[in-house]
Amino acid sequence: MLEGSCACGKIRYELHGNLVGPVGHCHCWQCRKHSGASFGTTSAIRAEAFRVIAGEPLLSSWESSPGIHRFFASCCGTPIFKRRDDFPSLLGLRLGTLDTDPGRTVEEHIFVSSKAPWVELCDSLPQKPGGVPFGRRGES
Amino acid sequence: MPTRTEVEMSTGSCLCGSVRFEVRGSFGPVRYCHCTLCQRSTGSAFSANSRVRAADFELLAGDSLISEYESSPGAYRIFCSRCGSPVFARVESDPAFVRVRLGSLHEDPGVRPSAHVWVGDRAAWFEIADELPCFSTRPPAA
Repeated sequence: MLEGSCACGKIRYELHGNLVGPVGHCHCWQCRKHSGASFGTTSAIRAEAFRVIAGEPLLSSWESSPGIHRFFASCCGTPIFKRRDDFPSLLGLRLGTLDTDPGRTVEEHIFVSSKAPWVELCDSLPQKPGGVPFGRRGES
Repeated sequence: MPTRTEVEMSTGSCLCGSVRFEVRGSFGPVRYCHCTLCQRSTGSAFSANSRVRAADFELLAGDSLISEYESSPGAYRIFCSRCGSPVFARVESDPAFVRVRLGSLHEDPGVRPSAHVWVGDRAAWFEIADELPCFSTRPPAA
């Protein structure tokens, strides 16, 4: 079982099972903005395995594109997961919220066509293209 | 030693676009912070921040949608209450500056990362592959 929490600790969750998708740094403009950082690091998890065990009323969401809901902690802003209406059995978990080691490491960069200019990719992970150039908004 | 790069003006916003700001002036060195709070607040491996003069930073929209989280005494992480995006941070002991979250920027700030800090807290699932200086906590004062 994995555990995670928001920055202020009011929202806590358990994941009964492990990450099911590739662990990736997403460089799309939406993940960058939602993280406020260089990129968002995400992996798919099974929705049925994910349980918020504290602070559920503090969980807010914003629909960033039709049918895509980004859930975050209203108490401290922490982005926690993403849900797609057309794929409700899976969630995209923000790895920075994990309190426990998932036993996996980052496996790929995605949407690297949108990479921020200050980001230099020095590792040997696969890089998948896609996304609008930095500074523009678009579907991603 | 040059520590700031002059730019004419930079703009930034949260993901939903409600909170917008501009920076008229220069950005300080970019630091990648791996502390646990930055991992949580970004949902990512580390945060990317640059200090700018508070006098150069202006909030253009979304004042009423701003929320603050005091992550340590006197240190406030500012985010958009509508979409959750971290936008900037302010520290009471350093009131002449704000720390801009680089991911909110719309233009290239010109500056580049200069160090990884708080790598003692680095996420188990992330390895640092670049050759920037690493500090287990904060870097020594210049």
